[in-house]
This record gives sequence, C-alpha cells and structure tokens, in this order.
Amino acid sequence: MKISYEWLKEFVDLNISPEELTSLFNQVGLMVETTEKIEGDAVYEIETYANRPDTLGHLGVAREIATLLDLSLKSKTWPLVELEQPTSDLIDIQIMDSKLCPRYCGLVVKGVKVCPSPEWLRKRVEAIGLRPINNVVDISNYVCFSLGQPIHTFDLNKIGGAKIIIRKARKGETIRTLEGMLVDLSPEMMVIADESRPVAIAGVIGGEESGITEKTRDVFIESANFNPISVRLTAKKLGLTTDASYRFERGADVNCAPVAATMAASLLCSFGAMASRGLLDVYPAPGKLKTVTLRLKRIAELLGVEIPSDFVIKTLTGLGLKLKEEGKNVWSVEVPSFRVDLEREADLIEEVARFYDYDRIPSEVTPAKSFELPADRKRERLWRLKEILFHQGFDEVINFSFADPEKEKIWQTGLNPIKLKNPISSRSSMLRTSLLPGLVENAVWNFNREAEGVHIFEVGNIYFWEDKEVHKEKLRLGILSTGIREGQTWKEPKKETDFFVLKGAVESLVSLLGLNSLDFKSEGHPFFEDGQSLQMFLKNEPLGYLGVIKKAIARNYELESPAYGAELDLSELLERQLKPFTFVQIPKFPGTSRDLSFLLDESVPYQEIHRQLQKLNVPYLERFEVYDRFQGESIPPGRVSFAVRFFFRHQARTLQTEEVDRAMLDILSQLKTSLKIQLR
Amino acid sequence: MSSLQEKIKEYRQIFQDLASRVKGAKEAEELRQQFFGRKKGHLTLLFDELKHLSPQERKRAGKALNDFKEEIQKLLTELEEKFRTEKPVRLVEDLTLPGKKLYWGSPHPITLFQREIEKIFMSMGFSVEEGPEIETDYYNFEALNFPPHHPARDSWDTLYINNKLLLRTHTSPVQVRVMEKKKPPIRIIIPGKVFRRETPDPTHLPMFYQVEGLVVDEGVTFAHLKGTLQYFIKALFGEKIKLRFRPSFFPFTEPSAEVDIECIVCNGQDPNCRVCGGSGWKEILGAGMVDPQVFKNVNIDPEKYSGWAFGLGIDRTAMFAFQIPEMRYFYENDLRFLRQFNRK
Repeated sequence: MKISYEWLKEFVDLNISPEELTSLFNQVGLMVETTEKIEGDAVYEIETYANRPDTLGHLGVAREIATLLDLSLKSKTWPLVELEQPTSDLIDIQIMDSKLCPRYCGLVVKGVKVCPSPEWLRKRVEAIGLRPINNVVDISNYVCFSLGQPIHTFDLNKIGGAKIIIRKARKGETIRTLEGMLVDLSPEMMVIADESRPVAIAGVIGGEESGITEKTRDVFIESANFNPISVRLTAKKLGLTTDASYRFERGADVNCAPVAATMAASLLCSFGAMASRGLLDVYPAPGKLKTVTLRLKRIAELLGVEIPSDFVIKTLTGLGLKLKEEGKNVWSVEVPSFRVDLEREADLIEEVARFYDYDRIPSEVTPAKSFELPADRKRERLWRLKEILFHQGFDEVINFSFADPEKEKIWQTGLNPIKLKNPISSRSSMLRTSLLPGLVENAVWNFNREAEGVHIFEVGNIYFWEDKEVHKEKLRLGILSTGIREGQTWKEPKKETDFFVLKGAVESLVSLLGLNSLDFKSEGHPFFEDGQSLQMFLKNEPLGYLGVIKKAIARNYELESPAYGAELDLSELLERQLKPFTFVQIPKFPGTSRDLSFLLDESVPYQEIHRQLQKLNVPYLERFEVYDRFQGESIPPGRVSFAVRFFFRHQARTLQTEEVDRAMLDILSQLKTSLKIQLR
Repeated sequence: MSSLQEKIKEYRQIFQDLASRVKGAKEAEELRQQFFGRKKGHLTLLFDELKHLSPQERKRAGKALNDFKEEIQKLLTELEEKFRTEKPVRLVEDLTLPGKKLYWGSPHPITLFQREIEKIFMSMGFSVEEGPEIETDYYNFEALNFPPHHPARDSWDTLYINNKLLLRTHTSPVQVRVMEKKKPPIRIIIPGKVFRRETPDPTHLPMFYQVEGLVVDEGVTFAHLKGTLQYFIKALFGEKIKLRFRPSFFPFTEPSAEVDIECIVCNGQDPNCRVCGGSGWKEILGAGMVDPQVFKNVNIDPEKYSGWAFGLGIDRTAMFAFQIPEMRYFYENDLRFLRQFNRK
C-alpha cells in the first residue's frame, strides 16, 4: 500500500519530517519497504496485513500516526450542492440478500462535465501509482485511497429502468468488464443489475456498458458494503484482484459507506455538478458494535511489563475505541466498525503493546520449572548416521520432494504415487516414491560440472498411497556411488568406486549404529541389473535394497559410469531399541593365528562360506578373517580359492601349539563336510 | 675368598670365549641368559655364594663381584648393539609434497544450520518434535485460526493433494499436534520441510525448511519471547548483532511480532545493498504470543496458560548468514557448493 506524506496531512497536522515518520510507521507495524521522493512529497510503500483493512486508506494510517504523536484527526465535512429532486425519484435500490450485501448507499450527481482532473488531484492519484484518467475516475480512486472504502460510478442513463438490484447472477449471464473482458457469470456470484442485466460484478469490477464515458452527464455513485467471503470467492474464480475486491475481502467498514458516497458527490459538486437530495441508504439489518472486556492485570500478565492505565486509555481512545470503566482497571471497550480485527482481549493488548513500543518491553529468559527428557534418541542417531557416511566420503544432498511422472515411470518403484492437484509444473506434479532418481540426477549434474566421482546420500521422505484413502510418508536413506573415489593423492593411482564401497558403507553404518545381524539375500529389483542386487534384512525385517543400477535406467539420464545405489528404510535403523552398552574385558593372554587356504566350488556364495565359518564349533576360536579370494590359471576351472585367517585364544592362559594344531584339524574336517573344501 | 676371585677370573675367560663365538642377536640374548638368568645364571649363582662368607670378606668380595657384573653388563650391551637388527630409517625424498588426507563428506548446509539452531535451543532445555509433511486443512489452517476463505491464507499459498490433504505450508501444524496430546509445560522446537505454491525466484522455492519454537506454561510473557529470541539470535550470529521487534500479523499469534536483525552484509552502510535494500535491517523471523483461539482449539485454558511461538526460514537465514545469493543452490546439490560447508 502506497502512502503519501502530503496526503496524510489532509487528516492530521504532522509536526515531523518524512524521515522521522518512517520509524514511527515501523514501530506500529506499518513496515516501510521503500520510500520515494516525488515532487516535494514522500511516498512510502507500506506492508499491510490481511486483518487490517483500515490501513488500506490514508485515513486509517493517519489515525495510527495521530495516536502515536498524541494528535487529533482533523474533522472533515463534505458539503453538497443539492438539486430539488430527491435521490429516490431518480433511482431505486433493492438488496435481494442482506447477508451478501449488508448496506448499499447511492447518490446521483447531475450535470457532470467529464474532463481531466486538476493538478492537486492528479498528484494524489499519481502518488499511489495510478494513472490519472478523468475527474470522475480519479475522484473514485481518491475516495477509495483516502477512506479505504471502494466506490463505483455508473452512467445513470445506462442503468435500465433506473433500478439497482443487488442479486446473484443468473445462469448464462455474462458481462463485459471495464477492462474489456467478457466474463461468464456463475450463480454463486453477486452482481449489481439493472432491470434486465448485470451492470457490475459486486465488489470486484464494473461493467463496460454502464461505465463513465466522455459523454456521461449524470453519474450514479455506489458506495456499498459486500460480504468478504462472497467477494473473495468471486474474485478468485474470475482470477481478478482489484483495489475494490482487495478491500472488500478483508472487510470494509460498514459505516463508511455513506461517508464515501457523500465525499465523492461533494468533490463532483466542486466541478460544477449538483447532487440529488438525500442519500439513499439501504441498510436492512444495522450491525451492532462489538464490546470487549480489557483488564490491566492481563496486559502485564501477557506482555511481562506493567503499563500505566492512563497510557492504555489514551492509546485506545486515540484509535477510536470507547472505554467504559467496569471496575478498578477493568474496562468494557467498544470497538469501532472500521477495526474488524479487534475481537478479543488479546487483540486489544496487541494495540497497547504496539503503541507502547515492542522495543520498550523488557527481554527476559523463559523460566522453566522442569526439563523434559527426549522421548527417543532418534535425532541423535540420525546425526550419527550422517557422520558415519561423511567419514566414508559421502556428501549429503537434499532434493525436492516433487517428482516428474515421466522420469518416475522409468524406475517402476511399484508404489502408488501421490499426485498434486495444483502443481507448479507438470515436471513436478507428483511426490517422489524413491530417493534414487534424485541422486542419479545429482550425479549427472555434477559429472557435467567437472566432477570425476559422485558419492552422495540423502535422508528424506518418500510418499505414496497405501490404499485409496491412506497416504504414507516414510523416512528413507538413499546412497549413490559412481565414478572416481575421493581422497586419492599423488601416491596412488585414481581408483573407481565399486559395489563393495557401497556395501561397506552400509555394513559399517549398521554396525556403528550398534546394530548387528545385517543379512543380505540375493533378490531381483526393478532398479538394478539382473542378479546384481541384494535385499537387506535387519533381524529378519526388510531394510532395503542395494545393487548395480540398471544401464537401461542410467541411459535415460545420460549417466555413463557404472552407478551403485542403495535405499534403506530409516525407521528400523533409528527406532530399534539397543541393549545398554557395557564394555568387554580386554584379553589378558596372547592369542595365536593360523592361515588356511582352500579351494571350493565357485557356485558357493561367500555368504554361505561365512555362515558355515560362523557355525564352526571349535574350542578357543575367537574370530576369522577372509584375506584372499582368487580365481585364475593356478586354480582348476570351476573352483575358487579362499584364504582365511583364524584367531585363537584362551581366556585364562597361553595356548599350547598342540591345542591350536588340534583346533585347525577340527576346522578342516568340519569345513570338508559343510563346504566340501579341498586344501590347496 | 681366593676361590671367588678365581671364579671371577675363570668366568671372565668363559665369557670371552663365548662372546667371541656370538654371531647374532639371538646368541647374544642366550649369553645374557647364561650369566644373568634369574635362577641359573653364573652371576646369580656367584652372588648366592656371598652369603657363606664372613661380614668382612663379604664386603670385599661383594665389591669385586659387582665390578665384574658391571664389566660383563657393559660387554654384553656392546655385543647386543653390534647385532641389533633394526630396519634402517628410510629417508623421505621430498617432505614438501602434500600429505595423504582422508576425504570427509560434507553435510548439506541446511542440515548444518538446522543442527546449529537445534543445539542452541536444546541447551535451553527445548526438545525437538517432528510431524507429517502431508497435512489436513484442519491442522495447517483451521486449528491455527485461519478462517476458511480468509485473505490471510494468501500468504501461505498451498499445494493441494485433494480436498482434504495438502502439503504443509509451515511447521506450525506440529504445534497443534503436540498441544493436542501433551499438556503444558511445553518447550519444543519443530524443524522440517515445508511447501508453498511459489514460482521459483532467487529467494522463493516451492520447498524449503523452517524451524518453529513453542513454549506453553503458566506465566509466560512477551518479555520471555523477546529474551529467548534475543539469546538465540546472538548465539547464532554473534553477541554484537542488533535486533528489533516490530508488530506484525499472524492468525495464530496475538500479539504478533516480526524480528529484524542488522544487515551483516552492509551494516546499513550501502543504500543499494542487495540483501537489506539499504534499510540496514533484514527480516528474519515471525513470532508472537499463542492466540487464545489456538489454545481453545486444543483444549488448553488460555486464562491459565500462556505461550509464545516463533517461526524462522532455515534456508533464508542460512542464505543471510553465509551470504548465499540464490536459494536454488541448496537444491541443485552442486558438489562445488556443498563441499564448501565441510569447513564450516
């Protein structure tokens, strides 16, 4: 909202400079965004709020400043040069539904000479960023931006039957607006009609045919109050926001309607026209003013500062409120109709605080009688999880939750996606059902910008319909590794990442979070090459997938280097209860190790070997480590060589060589049975 | 006595013979054992003999034996030194070459900034709450005192899923969810993703992060809101930062305030500053006392309890703090951008 310093002076005798005014505006919450100097005037762009339609005119803003400066508003009168003819002889006003149109005032002005406005009026109109058109239009704008009350002017002679009917539009009715647009009206829209057709869309915009032209002589001035919701719905449906609709949908002052009509007529009279006698004021069910109880004690309770009662009285009175003492420091406060926002005690306390100045309210810390323990350690573990991944060289990314249906199709996540009703674009018209598509896009983006390798992860929700009615959002972890690995130096050649980099990351993640028993099962998945993916389980609960991303998918993104991806459900990882941690005694006696190299059938997966090694029932065996896997010329075809190091230890003494020899024989015989191994 | 002297002479000879035959560290160690072994070492045995002598003889013989012990000790050490088999020191050719650094991944700046905020509030006894990103109109608007069809909703332009569901436009619905299930005292912050139907530009995107704070208790005042936010902002931006509170409007707080902080980019010196537009102030968060209607909606008695709440855009605050000109950088995930935050 643009506010002119000179214009304000029409309402209050400002005794401060335009610069000083800026800080006053800010104090009461009329935040000045910019200030412009125009021909001896200062024009402020002020932030106004949806609950303060009274500040959408200079009068309302002047009231705030006058209160702050302890000045009074100038009283204004709008004299008319009157015709003999009463208004009711010239026009008939009929409101069909007083809920939609609580009040409608009208006056006729005859003998208007439509011409360019005089200098003072042009300046006002230009100050608020509008283009001067002619005296009639400029007066409408001047009244609207003075009082905050929109008015509309019709060419009286274009109103059929001299009848104004405020009604709902009829099916099939249309109107050509002042902007020249032909609009189809629908039956929930409120219109101003003459005896046969709509002449304006109530509270939004006038019709072209009934509008003022250079030939207009007689003007009908409309100054009405329309239902905010009705105006808003109509304006939204038509995609039209006008100065009028902007004010009506916020709630115009019902008692301003007659004043605005008179002011407009008075100004037209000053150009030699004459007004009809007696304002027509149709107001079927006059509203009552609200009263709110205000306690001085409550002001201190809410603001944390004692504010003297005379400051409270002075401020609220200045704002046009009427205080009646109900008890000691308790008032019944009558709220004027232009303050639609003041309904409860808290609203009045805000008024007191604004004028007292927020900066004068003391700053204290918020005391607490008790602190609560966190309900779970989820957040701590989430951060730990991220740190484990940083440590392994993965960078964190955050992608939009939106997805492109075309791209999402490529992945076949198998989840029923949630579509948006009013997306910003078709390429972000649904919510993602997997994190990996985003990560692949990030990889491509970076490869196109000098990156040699991309190792990234994201923690975020995916979304889907579980069934027709039930939607789900699930927290997931996505990891992607592709290209050259990080952290290499002149000492070693550059190495490309591989599947085991990714798998190792997942394995350490799970174990460093204090969880064990991570299992893998070979399982197909639409994201990954055939036979190149594993399903992960944590204590038999599915945790997610990892694998080699399908070439057929990568091709769609022009991702050339092999990419390895994993996607895990985080609820399992973050919420699973851990056993309380206790330390394990470090061994007192030295241990011994022995190596074993053996051949076995290449079709046996390592996981099976591992399982059998874990099953070994051999005394003193502490742990084992696979340190080589080899296939080549020296190995018979169809066979593979493994080398395993076994560690032995006795808790209470040093082991004897013979005991370890016996244990090794034991291992050998058990593995011969379980894995059909053959010594090398 | 003379026998001990002779024995010393004899063992000196034995030692010399054996020492001349030592060819490695292992043999030197064996030789040491022969002489110094705890039970059967020659010297150990010789010292044992001292106890059969008279006190005067013992004094003299003891001295002679100790001298002999030191002599052998010295020779043994020389011998061991000779056969020490340590690897030689390998010399580094050029110490000015760069070291081998482990690469640590970088946290996303939003994560980093959000964590800083969480830490500050947790140090003041706040706990962290979260809530769903897909919300109902009730939690996102109605319960927060946005009447249906009110223009106040225009500032929270919404992405809808259907007539019932939408993507939350702020983290405030979590306030309502928490107050519904928990009675005061409440002292929480709520970080999370929020969505608006915004056309992308340098400072607007359809998705961003917010953090919300809420305190509800008996006797909570606007002064408490001011004091706590002041501490928070100073903890985040440094002790010297100036801030101001000015009135504003949010349907779910009354009185409402906006907090501006001094522009750290131009310190109010540049009339064309692209961050503060020359005003010297940057709007950073919205706050206020919880609206009595919101309390009524969750069955908390507004006469007994009062509370304050605030909301802050994490992206925009991070942009301001790190002087990032475009919001989209956060979601492009360019490694050259992300990895800068490794140093933060």
